[in-house]
Amino acid sequence: MKFLGLIVKNIGRNAIRSILTALGTMMLVFVVTLVWAILAFLNVALSEKNANFKAIITERWQIPSQMPYTYASTLCEGAATKPGDVRPMDSMTWQFYGGSIEKDRAKRGMNNVLFAFSLEPIKLLTMMDDLDNLPAGQAAVFGKSVKALQDNRQGIILGRTRMETLKKKIGDTFTIYSMNYKEIDLEVTLVGEFPEGRYNNSAAINRDYLLAAMDAYQQKNGKPHAMANKSLNLVWLKVPDSATLSKIASQIESSPLFSSPQVKCETASSGIAAFIEPYRDLIWGMRYLLAPAILVTLSLVISNSISISVRERRSELAVLKVLGFRPNQILTLVLGEAILIGALSGLISSCLTYGIVNFPPPYGFGGIKFPIAFFAAFSIPLAALWWGPALGAGTALVGSFVPAWGARSVKVSEVFSRVG
Amino acid sequence: MPLASNSLSNMATRNPHPIVRVNGIHKYFKRGSEKVDVLNDLTVSVPEGEFLGLMGPSGSGKTTLLNLIAGLDRPSSGEVWVGDNLISQMSESQLSAWRTRSIGFIFQFYHLLPVLSAYENVELPLLLLPLSKAQRREQVTTALELVSLKDRMWHRPGQLSGGQQQRVGIARAIVTDPQLIVADEPTGDLDAKSASEILNLLEEVRKILNKTIIMVTHDPRAAERADRVLHLDKGRLIEDVVKATAGSA
Repeated sequence: MKFLGLIVKNIGRNAIRSILTALGTMMLVFVVTLVWAILAFLNVALSEKNANFKAIITERWQIPSQMPYTYASTLCEGAATKPGDVRPMDSMTWQFYGGSIEKDRAKRGMNNVLFAFSLEPIKLLTMMDDLDNLPAGQAAVFGKSVKALQDNRQGIILGRTRMETLKKKIGDTFTIYSMNYKEIDLEVTLVGEFPEGRYNNSAAINRDYLLAAMDAYQQKNGKPHAMANKSLNLVWLKVPDSATLSKIASQIESSPLFSSPQVKCETASSGIAAFIEPYRDLIWGMRYLLAPAILVTLSLVISNSISISVRERRSELAVLKVLGFRPNQILTLVLGEAILIGALSGLISSCLTYGIVNFPPPYGFGGIKFPIAFFAAFSIPLAALWWGPALGAGTALVGSFVPAWGARSVKVSEVFSRVG
Repeated sequence: MPLASNSLSNMATRNPHPIVRVNGIHKYFKRGSEKVDVLNDLTVSVPEGEFLGLMGPSGSGKTTLLNLIAGLDRPSSGEVWVGDNLISQMSESQLSAWRTRSIGFIFQFYHLLPVLSAYENVELPLLLLPLSKAQRREQVTTALELVSLKDRMWHRPGQLSGGQQQRVGIARAIVTDPQLIVADEPTGDLDAKSASEILNLLEEVRKILNKTIIMVTHDPRAAERADRVLHLDKGRLIEDVVKATAGSA
């Protein structure tokens, strides 16, 4: 700590160079944080669980999956029809309902669109990742929102970011003008919100409402809605272990009930992976080319800055050695400068990134609009707040090591350079 | 000339308790394949409390000798003792620790850190010692008072004149209370008035604090202030001149 003042003063020695280095670091940390936020989310989505994991049932040959809703009840039972057949522990159906709160198509944009999961409300608490294991306090609060959605089938639950983007508050009633269920516009009342985090941009409606709206359409028009036979997008099953999953998958895939269209049952991560498959090269490039390239660039930026700084004050460093500073103390001083710049600028960058990306317009972007599969936008996770300092400090350490070693090796006789 | 010649053989009788003993040192540098002898079989002894001047033409080896005595370099052969320490055998790390406590340095071009105030520059060597902030403050203030710069302690080097910067350099040299102060042409970058003030200050330091000072200089007026002046040429001691009033100060 005694040397901290010296480190800080040395950083301030050439303020412009230090600021430019910090800005370069902040910019690169910003980009890496965006990339890592997407990759981290996909990693979680694609990682297999060991127990109580979920299976996903989709249409076998088509993306997006569109199955008749008549499949729902049988699939939710794991197609268990005979004695000895295995049933899942829990299940959930998903129908994707997309629309906008803006009636005028010309005015539709990210600030007024909304993609909702249409599902049985109680499944929000038992089947949705991360919502099924909320801390007690959050679970109680969210439970009230779910209860409200159950009690009011015209209800809707929104994530905080989406709520702010749409400028809606609990109790507001508004119409969603459908984009994929033509002529089925839903008037909904905002009855609750998702817990802060992963579902900040999400929306959920009661499936009974959508189904009733399709029935009403048929009664009114004398024919089923165009989506009536393909409104079931996904079915989720919770199973205790992989053996049960295999058995249920076998039951489903061998059942004659699901022949047109055919369905497949796989682990959730495999299912998501299938959705992500078209983006495989892009994600590979982000993970193995873009992110490492940025990290190397960041190291070089800091290395360059510290190299110049060391070269400029070789005689000063030699004086420090003459005064009794040990080589490793000199090394620590120089590394300390680089790490302090890197960590501070990284921290500032990650805080700004978190705020700018996650806050809804007009303060931020309301998530990274990078639609992959059914993930419309990605939020910066709270954990990213330490990515910045760690990235900045880590790359600073790597980048400054060679110049710092040069500083450590400065000859003390350089201050008495003449062979007098 | 207030200086009187003395033979090398008489030194032992004058220096019964030398603080610095340089015994038969040899130092050479390599320039490519060529071996350049800088010091040849040099033996020097410096008694405690002496103000010693080192003079000689460029390339005579005086700065090399200063480096060896200060533990900044090692002889190719021979021994360098300072007090009870055989510093020519010390490791780099041991030398660093030893320099902090035992040697004060004064440089021709001051070598103050421009980003630090006078106070912080003087405090620098104390950061390496196990002292509290209050203890450091006391020692720095005392040192700056001694060089009459307490009122400028928060000025940075760029805000001080050359003479004032050198006084800060002297304060930094004495702040750890070292037994030996080495000065490399301390007046070489100063005008005559400032140089005289610095030499007065060095004399005061020696008298008040009883420090041993070894000073390399080209300036005969600076050399006049020394108790004894060693003249080197081509790495050999050619003359050992003792001031007539040496020891009476």
